[in-house]
Amino acid sequence: MTGVEPVDEGRGADAPRPSPRPVLGNYGSPLGILVKLVALALLNAIVLWGLTVMADAGEWAFLVFSALALLVIDWVYLSRRRIPGKYLVPGTLFLLVFAVYPVLYTVFISTTNYGTGNNLSQEQAIQQIERQSISATDEATRYSLQILARGNPGGDLAFLLTDPDGERFLGTADELVPLADADVVADGRRETIDGFVPLNAGQAQDRVAEIRSFVVPGPEGEIDNDGFGAAFTKLQRYVYDAATGTMVDTVNDVVLVADGGYFVDDDGRRLLPGWRTNVGLSNYEALLTDPALRGNFIRVFVWTVVFAAASVFFSFSLGLLLALVFNNPTMRGRQLYRSLIIIPYALPSFMTALVWRGMFNQSFGVINRWLDVSLPWLSGQWLPYVSILIVNTWLGYVYMFLVSSGALQSIPDELTEAAKVDGATGPMRFRRITLPLLLVSISPLLIASFAFNFNNFNLIYLLTEGRPSIPGSDAGRTDILITYTYKVAFEQGARADYGFASALAVVIFLIVAAISAVSFRYTKQLEEIR
Amino acid sequence: MKAPMPGETTTVDPFATEHRRAGYVPTRNPARWFRDTGWRHVVALTAVAFALFPVIWVLSAAFGTGNLSAQRLIPREITLDNFRTLMTEPGHPPFWRWFANSMIVGVVTAAGTVLLCALSAFAFSRLRFRGRRPGLLALLLVQMFPNLLAITALFLFMTRIKTMFPAIGLGTIWGLIFIYLGGALGVNTWLVKGFFDTIPFSLDESAKIDGASHAQTFFLIILPLARPVLAVIALLSFITSQAEFLLADVIIGANDEQRTLAVGLSRYILAGFDNRWGPFAAGALIAAVPVVLLFLFLQRFIVSGLTSGAVKG
Repeated sequence: MTGVEPVDEGRGADAPRPSPRPVLGNYGSPLGILVKLVALALLNAIVLWGLTVMADAGEWAFLVFSALALLVIDWVYLSRRRIPGKYLVPGTLFLLVFAVYPVLYTVFISTTNYGTGNNLSQEQAIQQIERQSISATDEATRYSLQILARGNPGGDLAFLLTDPDGERFLGTADELVPLADADVVADGRRETIDGFVPLNAGQAQDRVAEIRSFVVPGPEGEIDNDGFGAAFTKLQRYVYDAATGTMVDTVNDVVLVADGGYFVDDDGRRLLPGWRTNVGLSNYEALLTDPALRGNFIRVFVWTVVFAAASVFFSFSLGLLLALVFNNPTMRGRQLYRSLIIIPYALPSFMTALVWRGMFNQSFGVINRWLDVSLPWLSGQWLPYVSILIVNTWLGYVYMFLVSSGALQSIPDELTEAAKVDGATGPMRFRRITLPLLLVSISPLLIASFAFNFNNFNLIYLLTEGRPSIPGSDAGRTDILITYTYKVAFEQGARADYGFASALAVVIFLIVAAISAVSFRYTKQLEEIR
Repeated sequence: MKAPMPGETTTVDPFATEHRRAGYVPTRNPARWFRDTGWRHVVALTAVAFALFPVIWVLSAAFGTGNLSAQRLIPREITLDNFRTLMTEPGHPPFWRWFANSMIVGVVTAAGTVLLCALSAFAFSRLRFRGRRPGLLALLLVQMFPNLLAITALFLFMTRIKTMFPAIGLGTIWGLIFIYLGGALGVNTWLVKGFFDTIPFSLDESAKIDGASHAQTFFLIILPLARPVLAVIALLSFITSQAEFLLADVIIGANDEQRTLAVGLSRYILAGFDNRWGPFAAGALIAAVPVVLLFLFLQRFIVSGLTSGAVKG
């Protein structure tokens, strides 16, 4: 394996330490320095270009962070000192951007109402509301229309408009110009003015898409065509009043105030779209106080804990049983058995979960076909829980078998021999000697396995997708917290609620942190830092 | 995935040596033989059947004809129809594109994880600086929060990156690789540091006296000596990335051409279980080949490392 003698922890701790600046005195090779400078120059060029893109997009926080990061990189790598920095900066940057920042961002999002319907900034939402509220109203002026084109039928569009009083106007994309009657000339059955040609119905049809989007700026609002023969002024119903921060409904003369990410009128009616805004702890509050959400959460949480604990229990029991059976030197072929049993452990878990799903299929699956029954393995009321545990035991017991085998062999034979001499029966020896000793070395692994299954998204999602679903609830019967979070954020049909999903994620963070705190007490990692 | 703990990767495989009881003589009495070891074979055979049945079922689905409802354990005839349906027939999914994506994601993630971890571990093992101990603790703390929990934030973050840099944002495997790299550093750095600590410090000292710079010490002395642990980390990262579904689905799931095998095949079969069963099995078999090969190659490292703190991810 290696030419290096493994040094045990104790001797390693006493090994001579290098001085704080171990090799500062030596220059690298010229080639190395050249490679470093070229790489740094390239990086600088790329990041500087990136900064301009971020400035264009208005992402100032990203821009400041990237600029600082670049400065730190240059400062660290161009100096002859800062040797630890040279080795720590790359990993630290990745960790900060893709592991630490997402966690902090999750906490931030959990205090907002971010989601479908609230995914714009307030400014964008106001623009969108104003734009969408432009429409024809009963009071608008209606014009009769002749569509013109400058010079030839393919030229720039223009509208020749006649209002109800007989006043004529020429409307272009830029302006509306009053015309004298004398300006208007006849062109066959149609009217036009000098420099323009009238479009007949066929020619207009050829350019219908252009005509549809063509508007003329009028005194009261944009003038748009209604078919090829008429036009009207579009009125903007909602107007934002920047001074008071309110939205005014000009048609009904109602003032809507901004509240909780929406413009709301006196009756509580909301104007869509809303915008992202800080809602404080109300996502957490809803989780704790809204009966429906709280009910969901508690049910999902209980199943998550049961699922993780039962998975560990069953796979450990089965694995240990096998390990005990195999822990007999007189048994032949153990190596072969072990090689065969280990195969499922090597397969990607997405694949095995889906294969089991196919085998459990109610109408076509092999299990129902061979048992000649029609059990709803993945859709009944209780069976899905059983199916999930069967599959997860299948996925997990190999691992438990491997670790238990290793741990069993490390238990000295003398202990069991001595107990035997003292008259302890087989089960007694197992319960009083083997199991306690085994658990000493394996319990950190059991806790780690619990924590892993707590977030075992692949299994639940690919096997049942959290189904069967419960009417009126967005969490299915077999959803665990992580799949529930996923559904809230990405799968609720039209409504994705990033804020609430993030609040759920923060709650899972806290639970996982508690589990990890417990497991730290078992592992000696913290004591080993030297 | 948690990786094996420092210094343990070289422990002896518990199964490698067959312990034979001294003076053991095979018994001829069948009843006694059964009571002694025979029943163990019955249990073992049952366990093997339980372990292998789904695997055999996939094999028979891939090479058989029929769909989910008509599949037999031993197919009536062995054909490659399902492979053809998946790869060449009109309307087939971009299977080899997915395969290539998976390989790129796996290899780049593995290489990146090794490089970043080795760099950090060198600093933590060989250099003394202020903030070293807190730094190591911080790594453990960050590792407590698997980044798949921050999936919503990562999605929104990648959406914002996409508007600025479409090549590495949402919907690209590069964005996914960055996320994998960010999530892989904590425990792996600890593992590599533990191994570096076992390499005698006198080696660096003598290199320094011979005029080596710190970079030369790192690249030419430490890295070659740490090959075993670096190989284990690279291969474990590769294997983990091949099965990861949640992050991959959210970051690249919407873009069929950018999907990995895990997302591509899962979405493919979820869209029609009965009639896509055969082609899915064919694809899953091919997807499993690189992982199983690596696993068999790595088996003894993994098995011994498991006893000291690994969980399959």
